[in-house]
Amino acid sequence: MDTVQSEYILSIKDVSKSFPGVKALDRVSLDVKRGIVHGIVGENGAGKSTLMKILSGVYQKDSGTIIFDGQIIEHTTPHESMKRGLAIIYQELNLVNTMSVGENIFLGRFREMKGMRGTHAKAKELLDNIGSKVSTTKLVSDLSVSEKQMVEIAKALSFKSKLIIMDEPSSSLTNEEMVELAKIIRQLKAQGISIIYISHKLDEIFEFCDIVSVMRDGHVIDTKPKPEFTRNELIMKMIGRTIEKEYPGRSRNVGDILLDVRSINTRKLHNVSFTLRKGEILGLVGLVGAGRTEIVRALFGADKVKSHQVFIDGNQVHIRNPKDAIDAGFGFIPEDRKIQGLVLPFSVESNISMASIPKFTKLGFIQKSLEKNIAAQQIKSLSIKTPSTRTAVNNLSGGNQQKCIVGRWLEISPKIFIMDEPTRGIDVGAKYEIYTLMKEIAEKGGAIILISSELPEVLNMSNRVLTIFEGRITGEFNPETTPADRIMSAALGIVGRES
Amino acid sequence: MSKSGILTSIYKALTKQKAFIALIIMMIGMLFSKTNFYSAYNLLDMLNSTSILLILAFGVTFTIISGGCDLSIGGNLVVAGILAIKLLDVMPIWLAILIAVLFGAVVGFINGFLVVQQKTEPFIITLGMGLLLTGVAQQLTDAHPLPAKNPNFMMISNGDFHGIPNLVIIMLVCFGISYWIMRYTQFGRNLYAIGGDYEVARYSGINVIRTKWIGFVLSGVAAALAGVLLSSKLNTGSPVYGETTALVVNCGVVVGGTSFAGGIGGIPQSGLGLLVFGMLDNVMNMLEITSYYQVLLKGAAIVAIIWMDCFANKRKREAV
Amino acid sequence: MEEKKSVLKAGASLLRDYLVLVMIAFLVLITAIIEPKFLSGSNLVNIMRQFGPLVMVSLGMTFVIIGGFIDLSVAGTINLVAVVTISLIQPMGQLPALLIGLALGIVCGALNSILILSSGALTQAEALFLTFGMSTVYSAIALLYSHGSTMHFWDISASKSIFESIGSGNIGFFSVSFVIFLVLLAILWVFQSKTAEGRAICLTGGNKTAARLSGIQVSRSIIEIYVIGGFMAAVGAIVLFSRITTAAPVIGAGYETSAILAVVVGGTTLKGGKGSVLRTVMGVLLVVLMSNCLDLLGVSSYMQYAVKGAILMFAIWLDNRKQA
Repeated sequence: MDTVQSEYILSIKDVSKSFPGVKALDRVSLDVKRGIVHGIVGENGAGKSTLMKILSGVYQKDSGTIIFDGQIIEHTTPHESMKRGLAIIYQELNLVNTMSVGENIFLGRFREMKGMRGTHAKAKELLDNIGSKVSTTKLVSDLSVSEKQMVEIAKALSFKSKLIIMDEPSSSLTNEEMVELAKIIRQLKAQGISIIYISHKLDEIFEFCDIVSVMRDGHVIDTKPKPEFTRNELIMKMIGRTIEKEYPGRSRNVGDILLDVRSINTRKLHNVSFTLRKGEILGLVGLVGAGRTEIVRALFGADKVKSHQVFIDGNQVHIRNPKDAIDAGFGFIPEDRKIQGLVLPFSVESNISMASIPKFTKLGFIQKSLEKNIAAQQIKSLSIKTPSTRTAVNNLSGGNQQKCIVGRWLEISPKIFIMDEPTRGIDVGAKYEIYTLMKEIAEKGGAIILISSELPEVLNMSNRVLTIFEGRITGEFNPETTPADRIMSAALGIVGRES
Repeated sequence: MSKSGILTSIYKALTKQKAFIALIIMMIGMLFSKTNFYSAYNLLDMLNSTSILLILAFGVTFTIISGGCDLSIGGNLVVAGILAIKLLDVMPIWLAILIAVLFGAVVGFINGFLVVQQKTEPFIITLGMGLLLTGVAQQLTDAHPLPAKNPNFMMISNGDFHGIPNLVIIMLVCFGISYWIMRYTQFGRNLYAIGGDYEVARYSGINVIRTKWIGFVLSGVAAALAGVLLSSKLNTGSPVYGETTALVVNCGVVVGGTSFAGGIGGIPQSGLGLLVFGMLDNVMNMLEITSYYQVLLKGAAIVAIIWMDCFANKRKREAV
Repeated sequence: MEEKKSVLKAGASLLRDYLVLVMIAFLVLITAIIEPKFLSGSNLVNIMRQFGPLVMVSLGMTFVIIGGFIDLSVAGTINLVAVVTISLIQPMGQLPALLIGLALGIVCGALNSILILSSGALTQAEALFLTFGMSTVYSAIALLYSHGSTMHFWDISASKSIFESIGSGNIGFFSVSFVIFLVLLAILWVFQSKTAEGRAICLTGGNKTAARLSGIQVSRSIIEIYVIGGFMAAVGAIVLFSRITTAAPVIGAGYETSAILAVVVGGTTLKGGKGSVLRTVMGVLLVVLMSNCLDLLGVSSYMQYAVKGAILMFAIWLDNRKQA
């Protein structure tokens, strides 16, 4: 082994990782130089977070080599990773809400810090160093997102980290807070700490990063010094595949206004209003936490709302719970199919028939044969791969599980089909099948509200796109004619409206 | 702040201090009663009777803070008490007590194994353990109270030290130790972390299994100690007192502010909550409420408390 | 070699599934050998005697558990229904008394479900505490109502023929209570496995969130399971005091544990969603057989209580491993 310190703090070579049904990382190679800010851009599903989780020890890689600070890293845990000097600040922050700032920074190191007093003293020191005025005795649950980030950064610094990975650090920060973050990044860099900066925001990438890597579909597409990239090139490499072959094309059967939603107001949403036409696929674009899921859940009666008005075909409907929504013509594929959508230990048959029980019930009694037919039909028309209708849905692949949920709703032919991340965790083949299905539904006059974190998906399937930022609609676009980065900017709260 | 804003903050403050308010209400109420509630004798007696429940509460807190719970304390305490009394016949007091306490530790160890290592639901499995132990207690005594044959034993709980009852002193010592553990040791802080967010605690390198497990052992030890003290107080070992104890103690802890959700509350809060129950008992006796009504009131109070805890969680979940 | 391994594995998992059954079959075998009295007519009658009340309560408990919850209030409900019903025979007549008793069971169950729904309790643990508390309340009311005293059939001069026939009457070959059991079992089985409401309950227990988001009215299912639980507890109470011709306000003690034990031993998982009343019948039989054997072998009733607790823990542990 070299005794000379390599110029790279981190070397990743041919790392692959697969989950059931999905290849998240496909021979990823990446080298991060010491003392610089290395940006990573890519869409959701590109593999960025999987790679980060492998680096930090949450996941274990299937194959490949990782060398950090001259050491080969095999099986590691998050704690070991931190101790080695590799810190990661996640988007979903890794703090204990019920404990104080100081204790969170030194979680598990109480004795090292010589108790409460030492903990808070050192914590204050760390926070002062990065210019944060957060009180160390405050409970984390009382902090704003940017304050929580500061705590995470302080935590990383407390480990004398050599490499800090920031995953979408600015997604919930105000402009002033961004300025603070920028200062801190420059400070860290001056101290010789290397930073991996993962972000959607091209402006920041261009501002902070020295070298940029683009990831897509589990590969690193390109790595170049920032000055050698142009904006368009970056976007192209992020989303630009040969788009046509991946998507079946849009449906062109948009008709009259079907759904009219006025002023949804909840704790997170502010005066959200929009319309939806027959045969239209409406995409909701926004960052994680912007409020897209909240909007559709409010519509579907899954969450309480402060106020809103919903009109379908001109008639006002009052939806207080999912059953009302279903009666009014809604269907809903939830974000997390395992927790919210499926009853995992139950059969494929039961899972498909769940929403249409009245259809196969006579005088209160279930007609088993009718139920079987319904399930068999959906299995056939959706090509659901399952050994039998009685198989536990838990044993199916992600794509087939999702198809069960789709089949569940198709059975009752909803007028308005809400799909929240319908292709998450599904292999490419199954994705295409679902896209085709969506097109069919639209062509037959059904309307779809589509939420997806994969920008290409939304842009290619939707007839119209709404951008959501911090609980508000910030723009309405035609994805066929509007450039992608314009839409993204609106989703990041930067630019105004355009039709 | 708007009117509704002020009201909400008052409501929030009130619900956080439910125990305190309940105590105040009772104390004010008793001012108007024609009883000896405020006599020194009664106040001391109240503290004395509550001491044993308080020790139980301190122990249970270790499990609840880390996100579990221990419903076996009732059975644990009766067996420990009976064990101590039986062993008094053949060995010195201190040894008998030590063995009884060790027994509690073993029970806690088994609980910990099942809940933490085997990952079973703590509520129902510790309930089962409680039943098992109650049955054992009944077997050991043939359901008759078993008198202690060593007169010195009785003095442990019934004696006093310069006017302060031994029980109160022991309770305060337990309070001090528990408080110190929870607030000033890594182990205690780790319990809070585990209860607050199991995964984050795990990622931070905390040995979540070992820590939570030890919490159960401590709960078992506390229960056994309480059992020994109870036997000493009554000078008999009886299987009767186990039954609703688990329920009362777990609820009392919640009243004081240690939530079943985990990560919230602590030793002083649990103590405060149990004081509410202790005072309630005393108040009901003072007011000469017949025992059946007492049971009814206590049961209703318990339901109300759990209901409010659930409701508070619901409001947090559904905040619009 | 691989084949041998997988056969062993299959055998082990089968053993695990039926472990408790095997254990108790073993116990029965040993008892039959040691104590030939086991197979006598009077003992078998005895077994049937204990079976009656417990199976009623357990059938009700099955629904609560399938729905994803638990009901620790059955003891209190039994106490209350027993003392109230028996006390009303004289002043109101036996039929009204009977009906009021059953209605009271329904009320107790409904009350449980209202408390659970209104507090937003979602987990089995929260339901455990709430119903445990309610048991104390119901028992206390029973004590107050009866002034702590026990009422006997011989204190009642009015006609109590209905109860007497429930307690010891026969219809042809079978006892009246057995016929009632069969009828209720049939109704409950059909309800659970063949009706839409029954399906809704299973789905609620399987995944409340997914059920709700599929349009199932989870609140209604929750009310249904507890009402059934309360009703069956009332039936159990009536069968019980008819059998022993007395009603003490503590008559229901221990039934909640035995019922839960029977359900779990029968194979219905505590996690909810799946299960069957038929399995519970098997579970009750096993629990009753176990008690009977232990009795005949001279094990004290206290020790039996301890054994029940131990088996409950064991069964829960097994159930947990199965579901993992």
